[in-house]
Amino acid sequence: MRRLTGVELTRLRWRRAVLLLLLIAIAVPVVIGLARVWATRPVSDSEIARAAENGAGEIARCTDRPRQFGLPPGSTEQQCTDLVVSWYTGREQLSLAGERTGSGMGVVAILTAAMLLAATTFVGHDWNSGSMSNQLLFEPRRGRIWTAKALAVTLMALLTALVVSTAYWLGIWAVIKVRDLPILEGALNDSLGYGLRGAGFAAAAALGGYALTMLFRSTVATVGVLFVVSVAGGVFIALLGLSEQWQPHKNVAAIVKNGTTYYVDVPDSCFMGMQSGRPPEDNSECDHERDLSAWSGVGYYGVALVAVAGASVVSFRRRDVP
Amino acid sequence: MTELVIETTGLRKEFRSRRGLRVAVADLDLAVPAGGVHGFLGPNGSGKTTTIRMLLGLARPTAGSMSLFGQSVPTGLPSVIDRVGAVVESPKFSPNLTGRQNLTLLARTIGVPRASVDAAVETVGLTGRDGDRYKSYSLGMKQRLAIAATLLKQPDLLILDEPTNGLDPAGIREIRNTIRGLGESGVTVLLSSHILAEVQQVCTSATIIGNGRLLASGPVDELVGASTAFRVGAPDPEAARQVLTTAGFTVADGLLVETDRPADVTQALAAAGIWLTELTPVRRDLEAVFLELTAADTLGGAA
Repeated sequence: MRRLTGVELTRLRWRRAVLLLLLIAIAVPVVIGLARVWATRPVSDSEIARAAENGAGEIARCTDRPRQFGLPPGSTEQQCTDLVVSWYTGREQLSLAGERTGSGMGVVAILTAAMLLAATTFVGHDWNSGSMSNQLLFEPRRGRIWTAKALAVTLMALLTALVVSTAYWLGIWAVIKVRDLPILEGALNDSLGYGLRGAGFAAAAALGGYALTMLFRSTVATVGVLFVVSVAGGVFIALLGLSEQWQPHKNVAAIVKNGTTYYVDVPDSCFMGMQSGRPPEDNSECDHERDLSAWSGVGYYGVALVAVAGASVVSFRRRDVP
Repeated sequence: MTELVIETTGLRKEFRSRRGLRVAVADLDLAVPAGGVHGFLGPNGSGKTTTIRMLLGLARPTAGSMSLFGQSVPTGLPSVIDRVGAVVESPKFSPNLTGRQNLTLLARTIGVPRASVDAAVETVGLTGRDGDRYKSYSLGMKQRLAIAATLLKQPDLLILDEPTNGLDPAGIREIRNTIRGLGESGVTVLLSSHILAEVQQVCTSATIIGNGRLLASGPVDELVGASTAFRVGAPDPEAARQVLTTAGFTVADGLLVETDRPADVTQALAAAGIWLTELTPVRRDLEAVFLELTAADTLGGAA
């Protein structure tokens, strides 16, 4: 099995489309990270001077009537200057917690899409070129071939996503340190954990994409089905009247963020309680907002992955190979 | 008892589609003895490739059993696959990889050393082009690469499906000699081909199938049959005809004498003082046998 997996890893390395997708998986997070670093850069002295110059009129009015600007009577010109300059130079600070709710999800999305496509193209090419039958002439145990390819794509996806995620969060952390900004205790570990869960999700997506392609024997069919499911799946769940708990994106967020919340409609009787002024207890029948744990998300996608992988293995072992 | 390298019993393959059931192979009994080159003949769509694909585990039979080297297929196939080299239909490799990369991946799958790739490339005459992408190869080069892949295993059984497709005359001759040489060296070759003259030249035995059914099987000489006519040459053809007719032979145009005893012909003519300039056995060729059998099968099938 080790030899076969090695062969498949070499095949992956020699496939140009896969290399291109790996490059995208590295380049796009780098661009996202650089964009965030630029967007949160400290305000320079020249920017402050330019803002003070542009807002000179407002500073003067503020100094005359500070209450109109929300400042207490008797505020100094410097306080007014600080206020007006902050309007013109308002820029959020770079923080690990902030990036976990923002750009971090973008990085996970890019990694997931790139790894899924890499796995799909990798094996779709085997079917498309007919080389799958040639491989089976050298190793007829189809279960071993399926497993070796699955191991190769999962390892490749996990390693790539893990390296990129870890580099991303360490990079953000390093910039925050260089800027001498406050870092909450445990924030780096939380972010690395976020990256680890994101990498795990990307690897699982790669495995799912691979299994689907082995089932459909076509990259186009797999991408088409995934597109339809991702677009129509949420709408379909909403039409069925199921709660947000079953929405695919909520379960991704639950996994990556180590838990999230979702909205539910509460019974009319709950409004009686609200009128009495008592807030509903957390996760009670009358609470609009419920917790969705990471394990719920893992179960949601885990069941789907096991079902697809099972169908894929059975199909590959039984069906004729062209 | 002769060892059978390939054996099928009641092998059957059905394909179901919206248009109904199609039987590709119908209760085929095939027996290929060890050693020599065995031709596998049949018209297009007669079930040759389907049979080969079932033997190699690429397709599952609907019914029947089959074995390679005595091992049941597909369950025992892994234990004998290292002894079997095969080219099924057109060569199938990754187009964006080079010929060498494609061979290297296959060689690593079965754990043969890198030197085997060099040897296989050299044997099929691809040295110098093995670093080019497969998609840039001509059909002939693709065939050579496919044959090189089969040689990686140093097989005891070679299954070749139209191996000379797309090759130029020199290439065909080269491959034909290679196949003949392999057969003589003890490798069993199952050669599926449409070129009947090629099969007759190369094969020691053959199986002819039609509509998925066995039509004939045996040594090529037996399939073609013994000579029953001889072309006679003489200085005076008309005198020779009269002598032979008088002696009781049936003589057709061109001094074609129907007999299975050529010695009697020479004796009759010599007794009359006519000396032979030619006595050539006229035999049916494999093509004639093939066309006879498959035409009869088609008519039978239509009826």
